[in-house]
Amino acid sequence: MSGSETSTIMKTKNLSVGYNRKTVLSLVDLCFEKGKFISLLGPNGSGKTTLLRTMAGLLPPCDGSVLIDQIPLSEFRQEYLAGILSVMLTDRVSPGLFSVFEFVALGRYPHTGFLGRLKEADKKIVISSLSQVHARDLVSRQIETLSDGEKQKVLIARALAQEPGLILLDEPTIHLDLKHRMEVMSILQNLCRKKGITVVASMHDVDIAAKISDQVVLVKDGGIVSWGPPENILNKKSVAALYDFDGASFNPDLGSIEIKCNGNRGAVFVVGGIGCGAVFYRLLAKRGFAVSTGVLHTNDLDYYVAMSLGAKCITRSPLEKITRDQIDEALPLVSQADYVIDAGFPVSGLNQMNTELIRYALAQGKPVFTLRKEEDVKRFLQTDSENLIICENEIRLLDKMEKEKSRLKLPYL
Amino acid sequence: MKEHQIKENIAVQPKRYRSLFVFFTVVLLFSAALNIMLGSINISFSELFRIIHTHDTVTTNGFIVWKIRIPRTIAAVIGGAYLSVSGLLLQVFFRNPIVGPFILGISSGATLIVSVVMLTTLSLGFTALAPFLTTLSALAGAYATMAVVLLIAAKVKNAITLLIAGLMMGYLCHAVTSVLVAFARQENLKMFVLWQLGSFSGFKWSEIRILFIFGGLILVLVYALSKPLNAFLLGEAYASTMGVNIRVFRFLIIFCSCALAGMVTAAAGPVAFIGLAVPHMARLCFVTSDNRILIPGTVLTGAIVTGLCDLVARLAFSPIELPISSITAFFGAPIVISLLIKRKVSI
Repeated sequence: MSGSETSTIMKTKNLSVGYNRKTVLSLVDLCFEKGKFISLLGPNGSGKTTLLRTMAGLLPPCDGSVLIDQIPLSEFRQEYLAGILSVMLTDRVSPGLFSVFEFVALGRYPHTGFLGRLKEADKKIVISSLSQVHARDLVSRQIETLSDGEKQKVLIARALAQEPGLILLDEPTIHLDLKHRMEVMSILQNLCRKKGITVVASMHDVDIAAKISDQVVLVKDGGIVSWGPPENILNKKSVAALYDFDGASFNPDLGSIEIKCNGNRGAVFVVGGIGCGAVFYRLLAKRGFAVSTGVLHTNDLDYYVAMSLGAKCITRSPLEKITRDQIDEALPLVSQADYVIDAGFPVSGLNQMNTELIRYALAQGKPVFTLRKEEDVKRFLQTDSENLIICENEIRLLDKMEKEKSRLKLPYL
Repeated sequence: MKEHQIKENIAVQPKRYRSLFVFFTVVLLFSAALNIMLGSINISFSELFRIIHTHDTVTTNGFIVWKIRIPRTIAAVIGGAYLSVSGLLLQVFFRNPIVGPFILGISSGATLIVSVVMLTTLSLGFTALAPFLTTLSALAGAYATMAVVLLIAAKVKNAITLLIAGLMMGYLCHAVTSVLVAFARQENLKMFVLWQLGSFSGFKWSEIRILFIFGGLILVLVYALSKPLNAFLLGEAYASTMGVNIRVFRFLIIFCSCALAGMVTAAAGPVAFIGLAVPHMARLCFVTSDNRILIPGTVLTGAIVTGLCDLVARLAFSPIELPISSITAFFGAPIVISLLIKRKVSI
């Protein structure tokens, strides 16, 4: 414990934050280590921004204290603090007629003299700050002419020019396109890894936060729900509870969020495995079908995707041969399904039995859509039923299936 | 190659500004000379040179130059400079390009107290102060308004709220002034209306000296604030995290701005649009928002523009002299309107 104490840069002790005595978050006890990437996660209005502003010294704490190197924030001289801590806020910044160089040079404020005249060393730091955010070629552009993504990078460069040990960022990737979002995140990650700067950022993308953060802090309902390494903290349950969502789920193994299928357009059974089914599960969920699938080994990609999409799933332990028992379990699902899809999985000794499911469906007179080539169909399935419909890709398959559906529906009307 | 270029860019900038400053100073001197030479009696350059060189105050021309034209020119030039800087400070402070010294109600406050003194019999008790009464009451009004505004500034953190408070103060003062005007006696009213039109005429050397010294000191203070002023361009939150003591700084900006505007209003009456339009002209000329450049730039631009406006006011329908505010409004109003439409020039 004493070892980690020495590398602590910021700590909050029994902290309550809020505006004008209206407390937004209370009992915040956090501890940020040097050179770590910390993400604050939580729904809109949960108090992430208020917490960040309090940690930046922009708001006085309602109770408790924020400590930097064991010293309360309020005891720092403002200009001295600016050399330790810098911020990037969501406030709109339009300083007027400044070149990028002049703008980033404003970040030298705590290090320059009375009139803010730049020395050679200051100029070098400005240029290197711009290089670190891959924005060196913007140096003589006017601030007002920059795109959102470029502006965001320049704002980070300004924060860097302060030469802080700790940067607090409020929603650093908001309003950015995918390219700039990824670029900004990798820039921030590099600041931690290479420069040893502690980065504390409020974030919206749980999946990205999980991938790059050393620590995540879950903020909700007026307090910190939990905090620690994302590997320990973020799971399907905690993320669903954090954002109160049912329609989607976070899968820590995949590191992504899947939108669940609660479809009412009909039941589809996918015979999948070895990664062939995943694309179908997502596609079917997207188009509003209820998905069931099997038999999958529990180390299969298909299994993870199916689970996070909320599909019904018949499973088998990894590396064990699928037997009659699992097939019998899956057969009722096949019977209930309106359609069956054969995802075209490679057939081996372990999953040989899955072909049984397809033959069963055909025997029941259900239309089966397959991605296999004609000769493979004969080889693996030993059938030439006319209910077996061969398709060349996933989209074609779905289109054919939907056409079939409208054709079949008519008599019931 | 690139590094070399970058270094060169950074090194070249001060020189560009230096030549601009030299150019503006020359233009200022030239326009001041025009102000002194032209009028109902034209004085040639050689005559002017002789009068100044020999310090001739005896001949008619000499009297005109030393007692009328030069004081008026200096008053217009430094008055314009002060008003412009006052406007610049307020534009930075409120981070709003459509703001001038009048917006805080400074001039309305000054006008109110002047109207109280001029239009009522209140002044009868202060006969000893009679010669300075207008000046003193205008200053008192300006600072009283400033005190109220500062009181509000201490309470509210939000600049927009303060802006609205200033606007309301202005309306309030204006309303009281209108009531006083409605009840005023005819002969009092004429004097008040003349003052309210605004003019740089009739300045004495002693007044100019006071204006020059106090205003000059405040200009030095403003220039010393240019570093936090620059930080303030990013907004209060950023400025604060960069090390600016926001409370002290807010107080200083308002103090300087009100003092400069109040001083000029007291002496010359309310002069419209200079404080609002000139900072934009300076920004367009110097192509920067860096206050270390913009403050001296605004001083020069304000001096030139106001000097020329005063010249036009005197010459356009000579011998009838137009109020300075009408001329500044002719130039200022289109600028404000185009700013509102384009929204291109930001602070």
